[in-house]
Amino acid sequence: MMFVHFAVRNIRAYRNRSLVTILLLALTTTMLVFATAFMDGSHAKMLSNAVEIYPGYIQITHRDFRDKPSLDNLIFDTGSVRRVVATTPGIAAFAPRFESFVLFAGDAKAVGGMLTGIEPAAEKKLSRLAASLTRGAYLEEGDGNRLYLGYELARRLKVEVGERLSFVGTGVDSSFAADTLVVKGIFNTGLFDFDATAAFVDKGYFDRIMMAENHATHFIVLPADPREADPVAADLNSRLGPDYLAESWRTTMEGLVQAMLVDSIFGYLTLAVIFIVIFFVVLIYTWLTVFARMREIGVLRAVGTRPGQILRMLVAESMLLALGSVVLGGIIGGVLAWYFHHHPICFSFSEEQFKQYGLAASSMPTAFAPLVILRDMAVMFVLAVGSTLYPIVKANRVRPIEAIHHV
Amino acid sequence: MDSSFLETRQLCKIFAPHQAAAVQALADIDLAIHRGEFAVLSGPSGSGKTTLLNIIGGLDGASSGTVILDGITVTELAEKELSRLRRDHIGFVFQAYNLIPVLTARENIEYVMRLQGRSHEECRRRGEEVAAKLDIGALLDKLPNQLSGGQQQRVAVARAVAGKPKLILADEPTANLDSKSAANLMDMMQQLNEDEGITIVFSSHDPQVISKAKHSIVLRDGKVAANEHLA
Repeated sequence: MMFVHFAVRNIRAYRNRSLVTILLLALTTTMLVFATAFMDGSHAKMLSNAVEIYPGYIQITHRDFRDKPSLDNLIFDTGSVRRVVATTPGIAAFAPRFESFVLFAGDAKAVGGMLTGIEPAAEKKLSRLAASLTRGAYLEEGDGNRLYLGYELARRLKVEVGERLSFVGTGVDSSFAADTLVVKGIFNTGLFDFDATAAFVDKGYFDRIMMAENHATHFIVLPADPREADPVAADLNSRLGPDYLAESWRTTMEGLVQAMLVDSIFGYLTLAVIFIVIFFVVLIYTWLTVFARMREIGVLRAVGTRPGQILRMLVAESMLLALGSVVLGGIIGGVLAWYFHHHPICFSFSEEQFKQYGLAASSMPTAFAPLVILRDMAVMFVLAVGSTLYPIVKANRVRPIEAIHHV
Repeated sequence: MDSSFLETRQLCKIFAPHQAAAVQALADIDLAIHRGEFAVLSGPSGSGKTTLLNIIGGLDGASSGTVILDGITVTELAEKELSRLRRDHIGFVFQAYNLIPVLTARENIEYVMRLQGRSHEECRRRGEEVAAKLDIGALLDKLPNQLSGGQQQRVAVARAVAGKPKLILADEPTANLDSKSAANLMDMMQQLNEDEGITIVFSSHDPQVISKAKHSIVLRDGKVAANEHLA
């Protein structure tokens, strides 16, 4: 206890040194907490954008559909899949979809796109299609040939809400399918490619026109806890049997996973470089300050303080400084993470760049996770104390008489 | 008197022994100091006084030879044991006072006793008792930088005495003091030597200070030039 008391005295007595150390470490802790919050927040945003806008957390397909997406590999009995999914625990919502590539034709222009039959009410829970409405109205059950399409596709076709266009496609039985559609609503998800190709109709109408009754290209499943997508997918696989394949977003959106991984690696590499710099800055600073106190250390040794006791005193000093710094930095970083979690940072100037990474918004909320903040604070604490150990141990090994006469 | 309280046998110290500029600081020093003595090491600058005190106190190692303090061979002790020896049996007074700057005079005086594991009350009582003897009772709550040189040296002496060591080693304790303060300090140290029975070995080249000693050892070029007990 005497050495802790002594350490406190030293911290107060060498005020400037303590202040510089605290500021340096607090700033680094703030940076770490905020950088982690920003990285986690951007990943969460990337994930929610990419997954929730349309693809969903879990997709169920015929086992061969992913490798060969042909009419031979459809889900031919949506009823049986529906029954299995409905009795699987941990699922909040699900619905079948039928995607088909068609040719849309407006008065002035024809454009290729993807026409999808959806269950409008269920889809509201599964994707952000309804929430992305910009003009007109979202689909409803029994809407017939009413079309809900992306703003860029509407622009290319030169159609507006209430106007007509036609499409030609292939039915499930490989027959020719064509009809006239009326634009009911136009959406803008922010994902340019998606908004330029996607159009939706009520699945009841789609099934009739495409001869796709009780058929689907895939089911979308929303787990009650999206973080549990993998175990829920595994559970579905065991229940659905070998004809079907349930895959989480980690598999269906491998590109996104890779992008997030690469982003994390670069993020952590950047942080590692910052850590190494800070480690050596603190080490050198501690070296200078400890060696500036060599005479004092020598006197302590001369009057009978054991090297271990001096080590304890200096480490206690280092720990107190590090604790104060990481608490201060953690609070500041935490407040920043909390603030920008509720008031996302706006990056309107780099919106186009974000789109390449699947980010459909120009604002980026930081993640606010107290446990992650505590983890970062613990990392900084260990780093800060660790960086002081070498100079402390080194100074403590000097013979008392050399320490007393140290200049 | 105990004839073998502090002995040095064939004590040698060579600085930078493997270099061309090797310096023999001490050569074959044989000394015997009795328990309770008030002994002075004198001699010109560079004669080896400080080196001898440092080796006796275990602050520095000898190149060869032995130091025996109250039956303990100091020159054979490991660093940890030397720390314990200094804490329990030796008090140091340095020329430059060397008080711990962040501790008050009281805390400086009590520090060694705290290391010895004495109770708070005992440290407080003993600290005030020693401070009273050295006439620094009113200065106990001041930091070293608030004290004059003479006052700091008295605090340093109090720190050395408080832990009830068997031996006090004082390296030119009066060198930085004016003659009046130096005389006062020596009187106080002499008094402590008599009251507490502590063996005191100090170095000096001030004739006025040397004259207070009862055992005079004169060093010259690292060798004992004279060794006499005074009346």
